[in-house]
Amino acid sequence: MSPTLKRILIVDDAATVRMYLRSILEGAGYAVEEAINGIEALEKALTLPFDLYLVDVIMPKQDGYGFLRELRRQDIPQAPAVMITTEAESRDQARAFESGANSYMVKPIKPEELLAHCRLLLNAPGDSP
Amino acid sequence: MPIVKLVQAKTVESDKRSHPRDLAGLMASLDAPDATARRWAARDLAPFTEAVPALVKRLRIETDTTVREAIFMTLTELGDANIVQSLIKCLHGEEVERRNAAIEVMKHLPDAVAPFMPGLLVDPAPNVRILAVSVLESLRHPDVEKWLIEVISEDSQVNVCATAVDILAEVGTEAAITQLEALKRRFPDEPYILFAADLALQRIGRT
Amino acid sequence: MVDETRITTENFNKFREFFYRKTGIQFEDSKRYFVDKRLIERIEATDSGNFRGYFTLLRFQSGGEELQALTNIMTVNETYFFREEYQFKCLVNSLLPEIVKKKPVDSTLRIWSIPSSSGEEPYSIALYLTEYWPDIAHWDVELIASDIDTRILKEARTGKYSKRSVQHLPADLLRRHFKRTQDGEYQISDDFRQTVEFSRVNLSEPADTRHYRGFDVIFCRNLLIYFDDLSRQKVADALYDALNPGGYICLGHAESMSRITSLFRVRKFPEAIVYQKPEAT
Repeated sequence: MSPTLKRILIVDDAATVRMYLRSILEGAGYAVEEAINGIEALEKALTLPFDLYLVDVIMPKQDGYGFLRELRRQDIPQAPAVMITTEAESRDQARAFESGANSYMVKPIKPEELLAHCRLLLNAPGDSP
Repeated sequence: MPIVKLVQAKTVESDKRSHPRDLAGLMASLDAPDATARRWAARDLAPFTEAVPALVKRLRIETDTTVREAIFMTLTELGDANIVQSLIKCLHGEEVERRNAAIEVMKHLPDAVAPFMPGLLVDPAPNVRILAVSVLESLRHPDVEKWLIEVISEDSQVNVCATAVDILAEVGTEAAITQLEALKRRFPDEPYILFAADLALQRIGRT
Repeated sequence: MVDETRITTENFNKFREFFYRKTGIQFEDSKRYFVDKRLIERIEATDSGNFRGYFTLLRFQSGGEELQALTNIMTVNETYFFREEYQFKCLVNSLLPEIVKKKPVDSTLRIWSIPSSSGEEPYSIALYLTEYWPDIAHWDVELIASDIDTRILKEARTGKYSKRSVQHLPADLLRRHFKRTQDGEYQISDDFRQTVEFSRVNLSEPADTRHYRGFDVIFCRNLLIYFDDLSRQKVADALYDALNPGGYICLGHAESMSRITSLFRVRKFPEAIVYQKPEAT
């Protein structure tokens, strides 16, 4: 129905994780780009439009929190972000939201859970069709 | 005729460094109020192993990322067992930035890190084990595969195993096949583990 | 040996991910032949026997020399006038206008080109400034060009180039600023040769870089990619010190600070991505 695919940027330093997330998302009809850390992600976010960011916390050179803080300062159309982490404690969640995340997932990621997050954030009321 | 308004470069100016560049002067500068002075001090301390405790102490309180990066770089160059112990303390800390930087330094110090690795891989905190496995990603050490195989055979925490499988997709050999298959049986309901183990097995293949 | 060295699809994929992580360079499937050919060349040159042996060398070699050797042949590093011209456009349309807004009127702008190689890049900058930056009339610019190689610096000072090297220059610009030499080459005019200051610098040597300070823009293209992790972090650190707060650094098109350091801010301009040293903190 929609002529253009929703575009998602996966930000994770682990190649296998990126491939895994990509296979789930492409299977569900999303267009996917990848970045291996926060700096590369910011370079891509400044160059290409995205509808959603999936962001790992632990990455070399710039972590997920740092990336989101930088991203939120940029003068570009902003998109929602899901923080993906191995840490389930409440302080980590608080930190994710403070940095600019819109939701939060704990690894290991299940496909149906991931897609539910994407649908929720991509079809939020007020989101352009 | 174009007006070339480019001027010939004048003698380039030298930077200003207030304290003398000996050990005592540099150590004093490490606590200077100006971040640039601290950063230069941290960097110029690279030849002094005696400076390790001071650098580590500064690292714990330093908030400026440019200074922290310089301290980490100097520690990488000095790289010895004492430094690794301090870095391991960072892994147990809460601050993500410092933990990530500690991992990066450890990746560069295979010989100094190796004796600590078996202990780190069985640390009671799963997060520390994940970080220790992350160090193996780029560690240039012959035991990397052996450690990873131990992790996927013994660690009960799925995310620790998940991190290890990702690296096995790069460094795994036939030696890992049995344990990769066992891992799939151990976590049959974890789609990521199945995906990652299959990828690693496929990569190992036959050459 | 009857068995020929062969790169399987799995080998290719594994290598591609590793190389991307290390260098930021991504090879599409269409580059398979290009990549395989060079891998086989290095497998043979290093006597590794097969892909697996070679990959182990790449991944575990303590000095990382083989990764550097491989990066060298995976990247084509040819230099010519107006190469990656979008960055010069970015310089005159975006960077300099922003810089001069904050500069005291009588101050001098300082630009550093390193490595200068045989001079194509610094002279391109000089040409671009004089031709396409209207404000050149109001500002003094110091243009310093450095390289580690004294032999190539001598060539740069002479400023003689082949037809191939100047082929991307607009004809009118070539006519006005170059003269044909007897041996059919093109020599850049004395005005330019005298205004670009050439010097020998080893970026990995703090004693060399200590005197290079106060730059507004640095061009450091296609150099960092050839260093190992730690050395390029040190070089990035030296470049950081060489810049004024708010100063910019332009890397080659395949390069990114993302693998090197978080010292710089990523800035997006209409023409290019550029890295900026943060204003005083």
